[in-house]
Parts: sequence; C-alpha cells; structure tokens
Amino acid sequence: MSRKQKEAMQGIIYVLPSFILILIFCIIPIFMSGYFSLTEYNVMKPPVFIKFANFQKMFQDSYIIDATKNTLLYVLITVPIQTILSLLFAAFLAQKMQNKAGGFLRSVMFIPVIASSVTAGTIWRIILNTDGGMLNNILNFLHLPSVNWLGDTKTSLLSICIVAIWKNVGYFLVIYYAGIMGISKDLYESAQVDGANKIQQFFEITLPMLKPITYLVVTLGIIWSFQVFDLSYLMTGGGPGQSSVTLVMSIYNSAFKQYRMGYACATAMFLLVIIVVINILEDRLLGGKKEEKR
Amino acid sequence: MNKKRICIAASALALGLMSGVSASAAETINFWFPTFASADGEVTDEEFWNGVMEKFEEENDCEVNVTIVPWDNYEEKYMTGTMATDGPDVGYLYMEMFYDYIDNGMLTDIDSYFTDEQKENYIYYDLGNLLGGQYALPVVVGNPRILVANMDILNEAGITEVPKTLDELVEACEKIKESNPDVAPFMQDWGNAHYGSLNEIYWPFFWSEGGQIVDDEGNLTIDSAEGLAATEFIYSLKEKGILDDTCTACDDTIEPFKNGEVAMTFMASSNALRVDTVNWDYSAVLSGSKDAQTFVAADCLVMFDTCENKDLAAKLMAYATSAEVMSQFHKQVSEQPPITLDEEYEGDERFATLFTEYGDNFKSLPVFKSASSMYDQLFKNLQMMMLDQKTPQEVLTETTEYYNSNLS
Repeated sequence: MSRKQKEAMQGIIYVLPSFILILIFCIIPIFMSGYFSLTEYNVMKPPVFIKFANFQKMFQDSYIIDATKNTLLYVLITVPIQTILSLLFAAFLAQKMQNKAGGFLRSVMFIPVIASSVTAGTIWRIILNTDGGMLNNILNFLHLPSVNWLGDTKTSLLSICIVAIWKNVGYFLVIYYAGIMGISKDLYESAQVDGANKIQQFFEITLPMLKPITYLVVTLGIIWSFQVFDLSYLMTGGGPGQSSVTLVMSIYNSAFKQYRMGYACATAMFLLVIIVVINILEDRLLGGKKEEKR
Repeated sequence: MNKKRICIAASALALGLMSGVSASAAETINFWFPTFASADGEVTDEEFWNGVMEKFEEENDCEVNVTIVPWDNYEEKYMTGTMATDGPDVGYLYMEMFYDYIDNGMLTDIDSYFTDEQKENYIYYDLGNLLGGQYALPVVVGNPRILVANMDILNEAGITEVPKTLDELVEACEKIKESNPDVAPFMQDWGNAHYGSLNEIYWPFFWSEGGQIVDDEGNLTIDSAEGLAATEFIYSLKEKGILDDTCTACDDTIEPFKNGEVAMTFMASSNALRVDTVNWDYSAVLSGSKDAQTFVAADCLVMFDTCENKDLAAKLMAYATSAEVMSQFHKQVSEQPPITLDEEYEGDERFATLFTEYGDNFKSLPVFKSASSMYDQLFKNLQMMMLDQKTPQEVLTETTEYYNSNLS
C-alpha cells in the first residue's frame, strides 16, 4: 500500500465513526421521512402509498398555514434581534470590559444557554404571568396597564420570542467575542491614526472582519428558530387558539397526537425545504464574498 | 488445588445457570398505570402497586413489572410505548384514546376471560363495551366535575345554597360581583395548554343544554342549536364580566379557590377534597334548558393484543379491580367511588350520596375517531372566542369543518 493510500485509509478510519452515526441518525431518517411523506401511515398499520395527497392536504390545512406564518414571524423577530444584541454585547465586553467584571458578565450571560428549556419556560411563565407576574408588577409600578402576555393572541408569540432571544444571546455572544478578540489590534491602531472614531472603527473594521462569524450566527439562528418547539410547547402549548403554534409543534401533534405519521413526515419535508432554500439564499447574500476573499 | 478451583467455578456456573433458568421460568407481565397519588400522599403510586402486586405474583408464580406513567403527554407515551417490544400487557386508557387502539386491532376483547359472576359484580362493566366489543374494564369511574363554591363568599352575598341551574349561577355571580368586587365570582382555566380542561369548562354546559358530541354513526354533531346555546352561554359569562378578560391566561383554578380569591369553579371531586383552607360546598350538576349533565371519568384497564399470556393478564385485571385492591387504592391513593358491588364506599361523607343520587347525571366522553384532535381543535377555537376573535357559531362551524376535512 502506497503512502497516499495509507493516508487515505487513515482519513477514512477517522471519519467512519462519525459518518456511520450521521448516516444512521440523519441521512437515513431523512430518506425514510421522504418515503413516509408519500404514504398514509399511522405507525400501527403498514404504510399505504398515496402519492402527494399529504402535501395537497397540507397546503389547505389552516393549522399548518398558521404554524408556517408563526414560524416565519418567529424567525424574522428572533434572528435579527439576537444577532444584533449578541454582537453589541460582545463588542462592548471586548472593548470596555477586559477585566474580571467582564469575565463575570460573560459567564452570567451564558447561564440562560445552559439552562434547560423546561426551567427557562417555567421561570418565564411566572415572570410573564398576567396576575402578579414580575413583568406586570413592574409595568404597574410605572403606572402602566398589565399585559396578558401569554393569554393574548397578539402577545403570546412575542413572549416566546423574548424568551428565545434571552436564551440564545449568550451563546452567540461567546462566538462573536472570540471573533472580535481575533481581530488584529494593528487595524484599530491604524484607523485611530487615520482619525477614525469608535463608531467608525466598529462599522469599518469590526463588522466586516466578523462577516464569516455573522454568517455562522445567522445560519445557526435561522435553523434553530425554524426548529422552535420546546419553548412554545411549554409556555403556551401553541395557544391561545393557534397563535403560537409552530411548524415543529404541528409535526409533533400530527405524529404523536393524531397518529398521522405520513402527514407529519410531509410537514417535516416541507420544513426541510424551507430551511434549505433560506440557507441557500443566505449563502448567496453572506457567503459568496467570503469565498472570494480566500 | 487447581482441581478444587475448577470444581468451585463449575459449581458456581451451574448454580448461576440454574438460577437463570428458574428466573426465566417465571412469567413476566407488564402493567402500566397512571399517577394518582398526591405528592404529600400516604404512598407513592409505585409503592402502592408494587406492594399489592406481591400477593398476585406469589399466587400466580409470575412477575409483574409495574410502570407508572405520568399524565403529561400520556397519549404520546402510550403510543410510543405500545409500539416498543416491551410495551404494556395490561394498560390504562381513557375514552379519547380508545378509537385508534380498537380500530387498529391492538386491544383484546376481554369478555370471554370473565365469568358471569365477575361481570355482575362490576357496577360499570358495560361502560367497557366499545365499538362492538368488550375492550375495556372500567377501573376509575368517578371524579365528576362538580361546581364547588366558597360558602363564606356566597353567604356574604346573601346566597345560602350553591347554584343548581345555569340561571342561578349567573344570578349568584352578579350578586357576588356587587357584594365582593375583589374576588372573581366564577373562574375557568381557558389558558390551560391541554384540552382536558373542557371536561370542566365546556362539556357540563354543553350537555346541560342538550348537546351531543357525536351521533350513533360517529358523525360530529357539536354544531347544533344546543351546542350553540351552550357556547353562547359561556361567551356571555365573559361579556357580563363574570369571567375575567384574562381568563385565557388562567391555567389553574384550584389554587386561587384555595386562597379565597374565587367564589365558584368547576373541579374534579377528588380535587375538591384537597381544598381544606376554605369553607366549601358543592352542586353535583347544573341544570340547563334541556338536561342536567356533567363529565365523569370512565377510565379503563385494557389488555393489549401483543400480550402472550392472556389468561394471566385477565387474572391481573380482575385482581387489580377487585374490592381487596381497589378499597386500598381508594383509601391510600385516590378517593373514588367503588367499582364493584362488594366494595363499600368509605370516602368523604360529603360525597356519600353523590354517585347514588346523581349517577344518571354523569356522562363520559364518547369513543370516536380522532377524538383527542377534535377536542384540541375545539378548545383552541373556543380560546379564540374568549378573545373575541371568533363568534360562538364560528367556533362550532369551523371545528366541524376542520374535523370533517382533516380528521374524520
């Protein structure tokens, strides 16, 4: 065996365990889901092939339409806000808080990330409680009226967005922080010599240098946001009405409550397509120039 | 020395193999039951069922694997559990769950496993006759949803008796609003995440107005004049200020009732017994314009078709529902009325006549296709009505349309 072949073999051996796991738990299930989406399948009886009937039904189902609208709205609210907030916090901590207090703050902001969704959802249910909730108490203290945060169709999804942003900012902050720390100080010193103020430095140096990281943060943010389930399930159960039901929740309900596994798989394939399309668009917008730079 | 060691090792191996053989000789049966014991109760559910099963295991030379299934996501857990190879042989289902299990041939008709004498001893044996077969053995028949009232608040408003009709309920609420504006005259948990709340906040009104959920053929019939009357009545409670505008955020009425913040609410009779902080009384059922009905649980033991030893499973079902076990269960775990003639009611005196006097007024949910999903859809639409985003008629029409086009 030549050296090249040996190296190739070594590479395959290194990759093989992960590849097998990804194949079993990701790739095969995607193909199985694709197959089941074309069937009427309730788990208890063998699947019956029905071509695209599930997809036809899905696009007329008000529950799925509401879930799609809610999920898109959720993505549009959470992704930009959590990206901007984490970038601003990271820039602030990197530039102004290079001390013990900064380290402490970073740790504190990471706590929501490691807190389980069940804990976060339960705590925020108490905070957002209409009667006697902490947030409404603060509003009342400021002589503002109470808000029916989780019990109103206008605010239930927004409440979930607030909690999701609170939970995710810490994670993206750490990524941005590492990115900012990796930017050469020389660039800032040169800019200072040229008379650039802090805001100009941020927009002309920090932001462009963080483009690959922003690409990562936005991609992860979009994928996670499309997969939102736990917070919505715990905090509102999708209600009131269908105001906070999400696509993943509708998949869960179809599969495990209505025993319509084929229909659930069709919705899952629909979600997969949305995520792939959005990521391709995002790649065109943010990722293209990144490749050119290399 | 070596020979001695070899002998010892061989003996140990033989003993091990023998013990393995004897252990595998004992029949194993999986028994799944939900949680009933309260957190501060005498025993936990596991302790209770493992304790009572010891005798059965000895008598039948078998091993009973008890699995206690929490109520959260109960249906999902059962569905995934029954698909697994180690699912239940004997399980516990409620009415909304039956259709799919029966329709898919997953349950055994147990009628032939019980003698006539045994059948006669069961008070509610016929309730287990579903979709043309005896697929269920009622085990928890009770917990009716009753109107519980804080008598101190009612007395303050000049009311001496708990309302017995829907009109009296409205009248009492109006008086309480005047006499005690700081308390909620009536509370319903429209903010609950699970449609199970309908058992307290909708079906008693729906049935008392003469509504029927499905007809004999299993067609959904909620969109009727009676259904509309009941739905409009509930909506009117909000319009009249009897139910608070924020009722869609309320997911628990028991704690506020315990704290004296609520004058009246519907709750399960077993939950009422846990209220010891206020002076309460109850009305078993509220009469509407056409009837007087309230929800009662009729949960059953079932035998799964995958069970290998059906005779043993039937014996286990008979044992678990015997007066010997149920009387202990009702004393130590959850106070419910007897399910067999040979068990005496030993519960709270306030409920001594509840089942004998009002038995005909108690109704359980019907068995029909996609029942859970229909209830879920109805509950969500009713929530929208309580937020003024749907009219009572829209709730019934849209739920029926959704059910007919997607679920039936």
